[in-house]
Amino acid sequence: MSSANQTAVSPANRLAPAIRDAIAQQMRGDDRVLFWGEDIRTGVMSTSQGLVDEFGPERVIDTPISEGAFLGAALGAAANGLRPIVEIMYSSFFYVAFDQLVNQIGRARYMTDGQVTAPLTVIAATGASGFAAQHSDASYPMLMNAGGLRIVFPSTPHQAFWLTRAALRSDDPVIVLNQPALAGAKGEIRDEPMELGDVEVTTHGEDVSVYAIGLMAVRARKVAKRLAEEGIGVEVVDVCSLSPFPVEAIVASVRRTGRAVVVDEARLACSAASEISATIAEAAFDALEAPIERVAVPNVFIPYAPPLEAHVIPQEADIEAAIRKVLA
Amino acid sequence: MEDRQELVEKHGDHWLRALTDVRVFELQLAEMHKAGSSVLGAVHLGIGQEAVAVGVAGQLIPGDQITVSHRGHGPMLARGLDPERMYAEILGRVSGYCGGKGGSMHIACPAEGVAGANGIVGGGIPMALGIAKAAKELGTGNVGVPIFGDGAANTGAFAETLNLAAVWEAPVVFVCENNGYGQFTPTDAVTGGPGIFTRGEGFGVPGVEVDGEDVVAVHVEMAAALERARAGEGPTLLECRTTRWHGHHEGDERYAGEYRPAPSREGDPIKRLAAEMDELGLEGGAKAEAAEADSRKRLEAAMEAALAAPEPAPETAMTGVYV
Repeated sequence: MSSANQTAVSPANRLAPAIRDAIAQQMRGDDRVLFWGEDIRTGVMSTSQGLVDEFGPERVIDTPISEGAFLGAALGAAANGLRPIVEIMYSSFFYVAFDQLVNQIGRARYMTDGQVTAPLTVIAATGASGFAAQHSDASYPMLMNAGGLRIVFPSTPHQAFWLTRAALRSDDPVIVLNQPALAGAKGEIRDEPMELGDVEVTTHGEDVSVYAIGLMAVRARKVAKRLAEEGIGVEVVDVCSLSPFPVEAIVASVRRTGRAVVVDEARLACSAASEISATIAEAAFDALEAPIERVAVPNVFIPYAPPLEAHVIPQEADIEAAIRKVLA
Repeated sequence: MEDRQELVEKHGDHWLRALTDVRVFELQLAEMHKAGSSVLGAVHLGIGQEAVAVGVAGQLIPGDQITVSHRGHGPMLARGLDPERMYAEILGRVSGYCGGKGGSMHIACPAEGVAGANGIVGGGIPMALGIAKAAKELGTGNVGVPIFGDGAANTGAFAETLNLAAVWEAPVVFVCENNGYGQFTPTDAVTGGPGIFTRGEGFGVPGVEVDGEDVVAVHVEMAAALERARAGEGPTLLECRTTRWHGHHEGDERYAGEYRPAPSREGDPIKRLAAEMDELGLEGGAKAEAAEADSRKRLEAAMEAALAAPEPAPETAMTGVYV
């Protein structure tokens, strides 16, 4: 490995600090990088913690609660020489700024036939974490459908560091999602850079491919480890890049195993799980030895009380049951 | 500041030509629509509003950027875009500014100071703030100028951006073209308060009401706002009261009755300037006639060239999403 890479690797061994370290490294090396969002001086979301101490309030900027204005401003700034990072606290708040995110940022380059280059990164927490229906959506399927936005969703500190770094170096708009429940997730950051669009086979196995995203990937790995003791080989494909959709990487695993379970924290209808399943059915139908199983949030909303939330979010038992079903 | 007469003496000839170019550019589209052209998509014309376009965009400097609405041909022309490439975009030709991907509502050429027209009412306002933020951070001395209609003044994007522009003391000049109608609805029927220009005050953004059919007045207030912005004194909001002569889009003939009266054309900014020049012995009437003949000649040639340009290759629909 090159020494350049070694110096780049973050000492953090937890997920949110790994995102923060990737941001800090980029800000150290490039004055054009500004970071703005709600409460980021306070560092309410751990992805921004402490940054104001190093970079000052001119570069780590608290915004009003005006997601549309400060997302749209990021587009104008990015197209004119800055490289802004914007934090949207929860990806559910994308909805109040959907025009700016989808209709402006996502398609500025296409509509102008490539005249606009907008190197901006959006950091957002996504998924359920005890805040009920208006904060908890895994909203990325809508953005995968909207197009024009690169989307990554790391589930390990390693993925978080490298994918954030790649996002900040990309000249396209990129959304970096993180599950609040994984903010403190531990793991080594290896000296193996990842690029936008990468997926990671985090557990190898021969019997069934489990495609999983974010927190669901963490749960899938636990299930895989348990089932390995029974002699069931579960291959976990951590789909940490969601847009552009990594078709080839998705198809490769199921071609080896012949069976697929897809786990998603989004609502089932038109979920990422749906896209993954459809892709497998189209591109690898001949390799399938059993119908594909989707495990996702039923078509209700995320409720508040812990037993209710746990009832709708896929749990390890749900993943295990789906695996056993496709193996039966 | 020069007095009015000095300004007219100095800029009158140029303004007449610029106003006429904008008018004739759009008249040709109106005529084309009326003739039943099959190559023309939806077009929203700002005939009657030329003084805002020329008074605002005509005095910007290289590096300044405007965002405009779906009714934005005028400011883009006044900013200096090439009429032939604008026509080509409107007609969906490969030589258009966006290779035919944008059309009338989405023309853009950031390199020449037009960050983009916008199909979403109010959609381009936050972008203009970001342009100004970049200018401020990079010390370029440039400004971001969102030009939008009265309809956009009722969007959250406008209110949010006014506030954030004030907080950032950003070099933004907000230009509202109040033409009396939002689509098919009279502005007054859906707009609260004593005037859109007063909406800046609550955010600490000075607001000015301008006779938007008087190119001299628009020029003067825009010049003052630009001076403030470039001096680091923050944003200004101009409300330019003007008139939309045509309907919401070409072919719209919904003006009728008391609720939706056809707008008066009394305030014609070209005739007004020409008359003022006549009074000063500057031969405004004669120059306006000459300007129209000249515009016709050039813009007919531009239209012909655009019509002769090929359509884009279909497979180019698949390119340009990502870097």
